Amino acid sequence: MSESSYQADAFHKLTYLVIDDFENFRLSLRQMLRACGADQIELVGNAKQAIKYCTYNHVDVVLCDYNLGEGKNGQHVLEELRHKNLLRRSSLFLMVTAETSKQMVMGARENQPDGYLTKPINRAMLEQRLITLLDQRKALLPINREIDRENYPEAISLCLQALPRNPRHKTWLLKTLGDLYFRLGDLSHAAKVFDDVLQQRELSWARLGRSQVLLANRSHDQAVANLKQLIDTHPDYMEAYDLLADGLRQQGKLSEAQQVLEQAIVQSPNALLRQKQLAEVAEANQDIDAAADAWRRTVSLGTHSIHDSADHYLALGQSLSELGEDEDNAEAVEHATEALEILGSMEKRFADQPTVGLRSRIVQCRVLFGQGQHREAEALHNSLKAEFDSNPLIDPDTSLDYAKTLFRVGRDGDARDLLGRLAEQHSDETELLKRIEALLDEPVGFRQKLKARNLTRDGIKAFEAGDLTAAAAAFTEALVVVPNHTSLNLNLVQVLLKIYEADPTSREPLEQCRARLDRLQGLPEQHRQHRRYIALSQKLKGLTA
Amino acid sequence: MTDPKDLTNRPNLANDSDQSIDFSMVLASTVHDMKNSLGMLLNSLDELRTEHGSTFDGSPRFNTLQYEAERMHNDLVQLLGIYRLGEKKLSAHVEEHYLPDFLDEHMARHAPLLQGLGIEASIEAGDITGFFDADLLTGVLNNTINNALRYSRSKIRLTAEVRDGYLVLGVEDDGEGYPESMQHTGTLSFKSLDFNTGSTSLGLFFASSVAGLHREGNRTGSIKLHNGGQLGGGFFEIWLP
Repeated sequence: MSESSYQADAFHKLTYLVIDDFENFRLSLRQMLRACGADQIELVGNAKQAIKYCTYNHVDVVLCDYNLGEGKNGQHVLEELRHKNLLRRSSLFLMVTAETSKQMVMGARENQPDGYLTKPINRAMLEQRLITLLDQRKALLPINREIDRENYPEAISLCLQALPRNPRHKTWLLKTLGDLYFRLGDLSHAAKVFDDVLQQRELSWARLGRSQVLLANRSHDQAVANLKQLIDTHPDYMEAYDLLADGLRQQGKLSEAQQVLEQAIVQSPNALLRQKQLAEVAEANQDIDAAADAWRRTVSLGTHSIHDSADHYLALGQSLSELGEDEDNAEAVEHATEALEILGSMEKRFADQPTVGLRSRIVQCRVLFGQGQHREAEALHNSLKAEFDSNPLIDPDTSLDYAKTLFRVGRDGDARDLLGRLAEQHSDETELLKRIEALLDEPVGFRQKLKARNLTRDGIKAFEAGDLTAAAAAFTEALVVVPNHTSLNLNLVQVLLKIYEADPTSREPLEQCRARLDRLQGLPEQHRQHRRYIALSQKLKGLTA
Repeated sequence: MTDPKDLTNRPNLANDSDQSIDFSMVLASTVHDMKNSLGMLLNSLDELRTEHGSTFDGSPRFNTLQYEAERMHNDLVQLLGIYRLGEKKLSAHVEEHYLPDFLDEHMARHAPLLQGLGIEASIEAGDITGFFDADLLTGVLNNTINNALRYSRSKIRLTAEVRDGYLVLGVEDDGEGYPESMQHTGTLSFKSLDFNTGSTSLGLFFASSVAGLHREGNRTGSIKLHNGGQLGGGFFEIWLP
């Protein structure tokens, strides 16, 4: 504090922006900044003004209150400034907050501020904090500059040089170093950074980084075990929950992933990307109620966020349309109504995006059909058909969704034709082919899907227990719900062949096999079950010859 | 101005009937509000002191106002911390910090009152780093320093050093010292608090809990309260592994 004249000079050179919805607080911060020697200070009362100001002016230090009343909050401002590149990495963004537990309130998955200022703030505190951060900024500027230029190798070598000389910023340097190696895909060096830290001491950020490397290395089990332990000791460490959910997803443990995200959301409900991840996982689990809830929250959090997207509205509309189907009750009507409302707001909010209208009408069409409004659905369908006939370049996502609508309104043949063409056009896109196959297998609502899946599970259990009759019965019942399901048909064939082998006196099972395999005629070669289909067909041929 | 009350965002707090009241939630959210109000009050006091420095410095009434407001604010921060501790939602996010910077920032927070009371503050920390959760330690130190301000005659001293493999942060004053009954070493259990004496030592319980959240291998943090030190008054130490 003895160097105050030097400091005052340093403060004097910089430009400041204070964002707070309370005038008193803005004025009081300005006074404190002035007392520190600052001079170029702009005060604004809301996010919009802040973003506008940063568009036309360079700001070195932003002091932003987290809660700005109605509308965008401090986190939204930070995200937007970073997203639009209105804030250099070398500038400072300080979040002012009354909250001592930052993780829980903000719980952001990315875009952390450079520092927090916890209220109440006085001049001496502000000065001290700014001096520390400005010193740090100065010391780390060369590294940040290289990161801004995406020259990661140079940034790494600067970090390595700085480490022995700069104990004050050791944690920042080590975190940045690990992150840079990770970004470059140099996983072994990234792992070494975290391991070295962990060898000295169990630190949660290093454990998280180590787990991230394990995941990238596809050591899923180890990563998941690490993260579970981390959450056990740090139940308020939100990023650990996010990463654990990623790991469980990659292990294929989707229901566990959903549970983990639900736990995280109870504690920290305001992170849009986390809600979105939950929605996707719940969808994959066919837990459509939970998916709709999470999409609803994603949409609502999007109101002021840079992450807002028509896709969230669409996904919510799609979930609600599923909930509105298959059941003829007041709740279904409510869901259908909400679906149409959401699609309506999507069209208004994203009016400038060309495909939004088409995507909206595709979902509307099946919602209306489900509600028995066949004439309206028919009219919509005609307009959709005309659009698809005249435009062969519609993207695969939209086409897939249209095929879903075709199935729902009873035009199964058209749906299959469309999907067949789509599969041909994109024969080298494995992910898309998987989705096409899934829709062809189960072109039904989620309740029926669940019913078929449960029966399938029962069948597999019975098969494993050696009860062939029960297995065949379960698979047959499932096929009533999803008659064209490829692997399910093949499962039944496999069981029936075993039944025949055990007792060759009756040829009845073989006839059934023939009927099931006939259904799969024309199964394209690139289908994942194609080899199994050929093998079983040949086996049957051998037995009937 | 107020942050969303994360405590009220928890869906599981809604009880089975609309009529039943989850008192701990009401309490927590009210505490949150009061804490923010006190924050505003403290800001205004700081501004008043800046505007009318010569009038208010040395005014016992103004100093009491500021001291008590600060004390209430610290109490409320601790109360929220203890609430989270009870909910098992408080854990130590240990990072490596540079001690001279950390202690400077702490002393800065108390600068107005130091000035008002005419107390001389010194910091003694070598060029060392230490491992701890800065937010949790902030809660402990604010409370301890504020307490030291109240009882010191003219000096307080903030220290950081490594002793027996522990990082030891100390707050010393030149006052009368802690009464015999409060002097203590180790960790406090909730049961040991005496709610009948008026002074519940809730602050000590919080400090002791925060120390206990800091673990490394089989070593755990603890607090020590005794008298003496360089200034001869109360001497608070928090030992972190």
